[in-house]
Amino acid sequence: MNIAQVSRDDLKLPRRNRSPRRVQDYVTITLFLLPAFILFLVFLVYPIFRSVYYSTFNWNGLGPAVNFVGLDNFKQILSDNIFMTAVGNCLLIVLFSLTLQLPLSLALAIMVGRDLPGRAFFRAIFFMPYVLSEVITAIIWLGLFNPDPERGLINAILVLIPGVQAQGFLGDTKVVLLCVFVVLTWKYFGLHMLLYLAGLQNIPREIEEAALIDGANQWQMIRHITIPLLGSTIRTTIYLSVLGSLTQFNLIWIMTKGGPVNASESMATYMYRFGFIRFWLGYGSAVALVMLLICLVFSIGYLRLVRQPDYLGGI
Amino acid sequence: MAAVNLRRSDAFKKNLPRFFQYLVLIIVVLVVLVPIVVLIFGALKTRGEMYSRPYTIPIPPHWENFRAILGQSTFWTMLRNSLIVMLASTAGVLVICSLAAFVFARMQFKGKDLAFNFLTLGLMFPITVAIMPEYLVIRQMHLTNTLLAVILIQTAFGLSGNILILRGFFLSIPVELQDAASIDGCSAFDFFWRILLPLARPALSAVAALTMIVSWNDLLTPLVFIDRETLWTLPLGTMQFQGQYGTDLNMVAAFVTLSALPTVIFYLFAERQIVAGLTAGALKG
Amino acid sequence: MLRKLLVLVSLVLIASFVLTACAAPAPTAAPATQAPAPATQAPAKPVVPVLVPTNTSLPPVKIVWWHISTADAHKALFQQFADQYTAIHPNVTIEITVLENEAFKSKLTTVMQGGQPPDIFQSWGGGVMNEYAKAGLLRDITPELDANSGAWRNTFAAGALGVYGYKGKNYGVPWDMGMIGWWYNKALFTKAGIANPPATWTELLADVTALKKAGITPIALGEGDKWPGMHMWAYLVTRLGGEANFEGALLRTGSFTDKPFIDAGKMLNDLIALHPFQAGFLGATYGDEATAMGNGKAAMELMGQWAPSVEQANSTDKKGIGANLGFFPFPAVEGGAGAISDAIGGGNGFAVGKNAPDAAVDFVKFMTSAANQAALAKIGVAIPVVKGGEVGLTDPLMILVQKNFAAGKYFQLYYDQALPPAMGSVINDATQGIFAGKLTPEQACQAIEDSAKQNLK
Repeated sequence: MNIAQVSRDDLKLPRRNRSPRRVQDYVTITLFLLPAFILFLVFLVYPIFRSVYYSTFNWNGLGPAVNFVGLDNFKQILSDNIFMTAVGNCLLIVLFSLTLQLPLSLALAIMVGRDLPGRAFFRAIFFMPYVLSEVITAIIWLGLFNPDPERGLINAILVLIPGVQAQGFLGDTKVVLLCVFVVLTWKYFGLHMLLYLAGLQNIPREIEEAALIDGANQWQMIRHITIPLLGSTIRTTIYLSVLGSLTQFNLIWIMTKGGPVNASESMATYMYRFGFIRFWLGYGSAVALVMLLICLVFSIGYLRLVRQPDYLGGI
Repeated sequence: MAAVNLRRSDAFKKNLPRFFQYLVLIIVVLVVLVPIVVLIFGALKTRGEMYSRPYTIPIPPHWENFRAILGQSTFWTMLRNSLIVMLASTAGVLVICSLAAFVFARMQFKGKDLAFNFLTLGLMFPITVAIMPEYLVIRQMHLTNTLLAVILIQTAFGLSGNILILRGFFLSIPVELQDAASIDGCSAFDFFWRILLPLARPALSAVAALTMIVSWNDLLTPLVFIDRETLWTLPLGTMQFQGQYGTDLNMVAAFVTLSALPTVIFYLFAERQIVAGLTAGALKG
Repeated sequence: MLRKLLVLVSLVLIASFVLTACAAPAPTAAPATQAPAPATQAPAKPVVPVLVPTNTSLPPVKIVWWHISTADAHKALFQQFADQYTAIHPNVTIEITVLENEAFKSKLTTVMQGGQPPDIFQSWGGGVMNEYAKAGLLRDITPELDANSGAWRNTFAAGALGVYGYKGKNYGVPWDMGMIGWWYNKALFTKAGIANPPATWTELLADVTALKKAGITPIALGEGDKWPGMHMWAYLVTRLGGEANFEGALLRTGSFTDKPFIDAGKMLNDLIALHPFQAGFLGATYGDEATAMGNGKAAMELMGQWAPSVEQANSTDKKGIGANLGFFPFPAVEGGAGAISDAIGGGNGFAVGKNAPDAAVDFVKFMTSAANQAALAKIGVAIPVVKGGEVGLTDPLMILVQKNFAAGKYFQLYYDQALPPAMGSVINDATQGIFAGKLTPEQACQAIEDSAKQNLK
């Protein structure tokens, strides 16, 4: 049932004695919040604290941490070229996502739109990659990018074009990051598109029809009405996309392990390689904290920046 | 509401872009489906075929891959375990998050904002980092080698995002409703239980759907905390086809296809709910 | 509308974060330099024997054993060992967990960090095992080895056993050891007009040129995995500098920037300049390399003793190149201080955890008997390291490898295993840099030396 249709009589509320509301409320609040907070403290806060603790040590993870180095790990992170490459790569992915992936999702959402026959079919198909695990996605695309035209579908198609040679893709330091980005787009564009679709649903038809009556063509409508009214959705997808790009691990690790020669390194693969594989857990914890800080700074800054009244809210 | 009359040239103008739209959409559908189809093809090949010619149509299709997997009791055990974990974490997330979200959306107390911001911290701490301290915690609680450990961790990591979602949704339910309820003497809990939750069904479905997908695909947590094969979940099952130096990619593909089927089927049914959940906050007037 | 924003924010956040955060590094076909196992089907359930009460009933003992032999035949054989042992010792329960290579490494790391090692587990010896030993996580089994005037110890090939020792004490024993060499396609060599495999490095370069002229890919290399190419550089170092050179750098009397290390890089560049590898080799995996060889698409690969079986498994017809497959040891380098019989290799072994009961050590002893070693050799998953075990070897290629291995005086465990894991990772990255043309030999060696200063104390 629709909220607007609920009337008081439908609720059939019991009559109760009015006990002091304040106390009842505080009891409710505590009880309601307790499970979440307990789980949270035990399984999230505690590990963060442990990480902070370990990040001040030079520690290989075995036995007690004894080699206290204070902030040395952090100093080393900030002066490491490879880490800077990783940060740069993450920022590049953010840039690609904001300029390519999100607009693509938006365009698709507008195309599928509200009236297109068969839109449920398209919606379902486009969301499918999201349902698959990142592991499977990476394995599938590893196969597709294979440099041997007999084994990699993309190269097989490419060599059909006269004059075009098989590409190294994941082995070519110049394009590997782009290839990773293609896979990320394949996986996540469906989600963004779905969100835009939902946002589109909320644009009142009256506005669109009014614009049509006023003689606006498709492009004008998109530019001046659709996109501005999708503002909050767009801001959301940007938030999501940036944070996701900054913490991307699984897909990159399985496809390239950050290589070749760090060309596709992300902050998370850097952390995993240095922290776990090199048995250098103190350093790895420090990297994790740096990542956390970067995400926090972005998050707080961004949310503050976009705390504006929405057009639709004002209607 | 004014009707917009289309003249014939307008109709043509409308159809050409429409044709173009469909063209683009079909291309995207192909790009989306081709990798998935390749996966399914791989599931029907022998190992050598998979390595040498991974994307050609399997002729003849080797259904025995599927048969072999479905014939092992371990597959069904893993399926069962995945189901248990998935249902339990989803239930946990739904209950705990709706309780907490309700408080943040509908009740006032000192330090509410601080508490809420604190809870969103969980969004930025990847589990790859947290796994070692998690292991220590689980060990201290003597929960190693149990499905409960996996459930607890999945639930804990699902808290922040879902509380955010549900809070947003609860906020969109009119205050008048709650005021009316309290005037009638309804306690906060009654309001929550009898009124809010039923109305929030779409959002709860969306949360449930997404939590289920994540839980189903989770590999790291079961890998680290479960030794006994009888407790393995599906993602761990792909390991049995991988060796030190060789991988039965065709079997992996077959296994993955089979284990993804429940999620896909579920998604196809739940898709409406998810979209409804996203748009149900639409309040007109 | 703000509410809707929050709904969307939450939906999106939960999706991306939970998905990126909760999914995890997965097992793939990208292992470090280890021994073989063509993989197949389902894990068998461990058999729990019924405890037979006897007059002399011993207290029940449980052994926890983790191994990575997922291949059907191999897994079954290991299970058989366990069943045989528990039949003889009814009070013992052996709980086996079979994991895939990468998954095993992740999981083992985590439990080691938690301080709770399994009783018996797969080990490649060298640097990683040494870290565990240093941290007191392994059981010193030297007493059991030396008992009865070294009865158990003497059954092993000395070089192989040494891989599982640290500072004079043993913490594990090998059950398989082999070496890396060049596997080549005889038919393709003939096609290029090469009569005999090269005996010197110069000849190898000449052969590469001849193969290229004949339109054949000379060398298959999966440098995306980094370690395949690392072995090339390591062998050049070994041929140029011999044992003394590496020992010096290891013990810090020398340095990883000494001449043989750098010269090896330069010679490697000579090879790379000939463009001998398949297209896209920088992103290729070892699996790709094996496939290329197995399908006859490349003339040679530098790989360990598992190469033939993986080539077969990855080939289209599952037969590989059959009788056309040959083996030759890494060529000599003119003027080098190393001998052509020096070998780089590695294998598999059992490490013993610190809390392991005596029964666990006894079970390991049982598994490394000559008879059981021969059984492993028979199913083609191991080159035995115990005297008498080699009777199980039937494959002529494996026999050839074993002979080469036995002839050597200097046996070097793969660099990325012999050295501490941090260094191993650096060596892999540095050599990949040489292959990619991004690092000069001097830069690569300096990176390794820097890492040595930090890690070798």
